[in-house]
Amino acid sequence: MVKNDGGQLYTIEGFAAGLIMVITAYLVVNATSVYTAGDTHINDMQLEALGSDALKMMDVAPNSTNSETPLQRIITGLNPQDREEFKTLFLKYTNTSGSGPLHDIQFNASYSCRDSNDIIQNVPITNSRELTGGEHVVRATKWVIVDKGCYTAAARDRAVLVEVLLWRD
Amino acid sequence: MARLNDDAQWIVLMGFLVSFSFFFLALVINQSTVVGQTTAESVIEFPKNDIRDVRSVIHQSLNVASPVFNDVESDIKIISMNRKSSVVNYSFFSAANATYIQIHYNNGVTEYNENWTIV
Repeated sequence: MVKNDGGQLYTIEGFAAGLIMVITAYLVVNATSVYTAGDTHINDMQLEALGSDALKMMDVAPNSTNSETPLQRIITGLNPQDREEFKTLFLKYTNTSGSGPLHDIQFNASYSCRDSNDIIQNVPITNSRELTGGEHVVRATKWVIVDKGCYTAAARDRAVLVEVLLWRD
Repeated sequence: MARLNDDAQWIVLMGFLVSFSFFFLALVINQSTVVGQTTAESVIEFPKNDIRDVRSVIHQSLNVASPVFNDVESDIKIISMNRKSSVVNYSFFSAANATYIQIHYNNGVTEYNENWTIV
């Protein structure tokens, strides 16, 4: 094969033309979807995991014994002190977890129960801020078995679903 | 251009190669956003916490005394359907020294079945 250094600029021009075509095709194909980091739901995933973990920790009895858990006690009593305890515990596990600045997490908690007519009712527990409808919330839930139906105390065990809506402000 | 000055063609060619490699690196970085989204969406979509939670409440419900048990069972099934849009069904029976639980969970995207033995 004869060594020949000629025609290099033509090669360069060919490369340039190819590059321009590739970029054009790439831009056209991608034009319909513009992704930014905020669109990727990574924050939602982390917030949901955080909320689920917080509820799970609230549903563990001290020293992992078989006794009543804080969450069960709160749902069963549901007096103003219990509601305040829910807020304190939940914000401790989510908003102030660790040291340093707060994490700007707000929540709205309620529980769902089945009444005597098989209707599902939603009973508010407490919130750290009123929902205005503009928040981007995620939901974390936890089942608990308590001696409580809807609103009124039941003499026997019932399963209720604690639901927490979380968002960052 | 080719007729004006033929010098430094190799340098220009190498410059093009370097810019090519930058272009492909930019492609890779661009994809990372999409990859993050796909991962986060699949984690959100897969009801890991729901299934674990249902398992644990079913386990707890075994300790509930028998006349109340049906109430708790209806609570779990009906509230699951109503608030979590998921079909939960379970049954259990006791044999010698063991309790067998069959759990069925389906939220329309993920289906989960389990035969669970508690000794």
